[in-house]
Amino acid sequence: MSLRIHRGRIAQHKHDQLLREYLKQNLNELIQQKELIIDGRVKTQITTLDLPTLRYGEEATVLAQGQGGAGQGPGRGAGRDGGDEEVQALGGLLGGDHHGRELRVELDFDEFVRLAQEVLIDEIQLPPLHTVGRAGEVETDEMPELDDLDRIGLRPDLNLEETMLHSLLRSVRERGVLDYDVDVRQDGWYFVEDPVQYRNHRSLEVYVLDISGSMRGEYLALVRKTIFVLWYYLERRYPTNLRRYIVFQDAAAEKTRDDFFCVESSGGTHISSGFEKAVELLEGATEYDKFLFLFSDGETSSGDFDVAKRRYEDALSRFDLICYGHVNPGSRGIGGFSEYVQETARKYPNATFANLVDVGTIGAAMVDFLTFLTQERSDGHAGRLRTDH
Amino acid sequence: MGMLDAYAPIIDRIEALARARGLSFEPVYFRLTDSDELAEVASMGLPNRFIHWYWGGAYKELTTQQNKEVFSILELVLNTRPSHAFLRASNTYLQNVLVIAHVFGHVDFFANNHWYRKSNKNMLNEAELHARLIRHYEARFGKERIEKLLDALLTVATTVNAFERSPEARRRRLIYFLEEKAPLEDFERHLLQAVREEAEYFDLIQRTHIINEGWATFVEADLLREILDPREWITISVQLSSRPAPYTIGYSLFKAIKDGRGFDAALEVRTYYEDVMLIQEALSEDMIRRLDIFVYDPKEKKKSYDVQRVRDMLIEQKQFKGQPHVEVELGGNHRDLTLVHKDEERKLEPKRISLFLKAVHSLWRNPVRLRANGKVYTYDRRGFSAT
Repeated sequence: MSLRIHRGRIAQHKHDQLLREYLKQNLNELIQQKELIIDGRVKTQITTLDLPTLRYGEEATVLAQGQGGAGQGPGRGAGRDGGDEEVQALGGLLGGDHHGRELRVELDFDEFVRLAQEVLIDEIQLPPLHTVGRAGEVETDEMPELDDLDRIGLRPDLNLEETMLHSLLRSVRERGVLDYDVDVRQDGWYFVEDPVQYRNHRSLEVYVLDISGSMRGEYLALVRKTIFVLWYYLERRYPTNLRRYIVFQDAAAEKTRDDFFCVESSGGTHISSGFEKAVELLEGATEYDKFLFLFSDGETSSGDFDVAKRRYEDALSRFDLICYGHVNPGSRGIGGFSEYVQETARKYPNATFANLVDVGTIGAAMVDFLTFLTQERSDGHAGRLRTDH
Repeated sequence: MGMLDAYAPIIDRIEALARARGLSFEPVYFRLTDSDELAEVASMGLPNRFIHWYWGGAYKELTTQQNKEVFSILELVLNTRPSHAFLRASNTYLQNVLVIAHVFGHVDFFANNHWYRKSNKNMLNEAELHARLIRHYEARFGKERIEKLLDALLTVATTVNAFERSPEARRRRLIYFLEEKAPLEDFERHLLQAVREEAEYFDLIQRTHIINEGWATFVEADLLREILDPREWITISVQLSSRPAPYTIGYSLFKAIKDGRGFDAALEVRTYYEDVMLIQEALSEDMIRRLDIFVYDPKEKKKSYDVQRVRDMLIEQKQFKGQPHVEVELGGNHRDLTLVHKDEERKLEPKRISLFLKAVHSLWRNPVRLRANGKVYTYDRRGFSAT
């Protein structure tokens, strides 16, 4: 049997590298799409990369074939969902080595997030992730027993079996092919020391988003970017994290991840409802570390202010960390409930406040957050203000 | 190899039948392979061609479509001596019997069609040499530089014409003009020639795509009638006439000729015709309706099934690969290169013009102009401008 060189895959790899560069340059536009995830995927306006040959403009007449083509008669393809009959330009009729049909580039959401993280980490110049892990290193003369699995660890030793399995899962997920295509950065699993307490590796993350009023592109972009950067750190710290999503306006509701990234904004603001719902989700949660990330412009209805305060304090006693992101594109100042949180956060060690003005301020917010994670590691356990419940 | 043995008897039988019909061809090597390799060869055009990101995009599309089962490639044949044919291992036995008969149609076409007389049957070896040459130059001049050069060359390579023999007419086509006049370094010229030769190999296939597929489908139907039992054959023949347009247009023509004038008359048409002649003669109003092919005006959202318009447009697509008809304006000063878009009424996409001219400029090195959209676009040392 001869070894085969997979030229197609090598060529695709080259293509995808160029595409990644292109997407990175256009990340800002992509991330602002109101409906970020459709059917689990991020759609773009970008077609596969093409050579810069000349083309007719969109208004030029074209030779086309109706969907009813290939002998089915014109009637067949029409009338799907009452929409226009799809007209497909007939480039493909020519055959040969030119592909006529343009496909919009779609990315698996996870792939999109990784791409975004790559850009953001670079842009914000955040500390690389190992500073987090190193802080908790335990001094010992004995060689640790590498009998636990993790995505990252101290003195890591690649676990081939698990890594191959993840490569397989990833290629099924991303390409729909049962095939090994190991990329250690994405698929690597390592043998690491058994942590003192395994549950220390589990977290519950609750994301709460204010969708009232002005949910414009920049507002969305800031929130999403912050979340992606948070994930970058959290994913490496907690191999088994559970994420739950809440959106609120007058009332709060739990959403799926996909819906969370496709919300329509409307209605008034009751920040209290966001906190209330978040605490509700803690019911029955066994995860060791519980995080709450809430994003709002702070303009809660006047009648809600006092209730929101109480709910916030209640949440503080239940979560290990609450990060409140004041979404403030264009830096119009900090007022309303955000102002209150900014003051209060100083008094509580498990409260952080971030004024999210632009990408740069995400960096500042992360530093607070990372400080918490670092200290927590050196304490050997999380949540310095843990109250048992 | 073992699995291919299962097909040996049927291959022999079909080959004997084909020869008895008056078909002739080079030896054919069949190979059993998977969808992935078929997609790979289909996207690159040749199995050992140099690796370029552009094929990667096509490969990605093909594999995505195959995975979604929207579309899959059943077979592939190369115009080489000997011919190489790829069968998909996951096809059913019957599917592969169809494919084998179809393949004998193609190899007969390669061996006998007039336009293939001068075709390069050694392309498999040449593509390999080109790939080595490119690797050699990459090592010498740097990958990035060679990749940029290849991008520009592949962009202008769409202007080849495998049929054109008159030097005067050739010179109006950009790639031949550049080959003759552009101030290229030796290695750049070598690569231009390599890319041009490969592009001509594919150009010939594209210019005879409809008739070639039509002939192969016709041969397939004809040979299978002898092999399959009548009930099987009826199912198959229904399938054959509901294939995509390129297959059906030619197939209908050959069927009509055979019914009227016999099989030998059909053999003659496969010898002398190419797509443009075929379209002019065979594409009827009825067929246009049946295939649902039309000229579409996006501004008015109107479809036209007018035979002449559809024919003209299809022929123009054949001649220029669906790309705008742009010619070199000869006889200007020797420093500047002026290109003219010949179909002023149809507007070109402005965004692409600057990228295209930039690519041409990287080869021509001196100012490059394009007259289109009622403007003159220029790319020179200072960059892109339009007046």
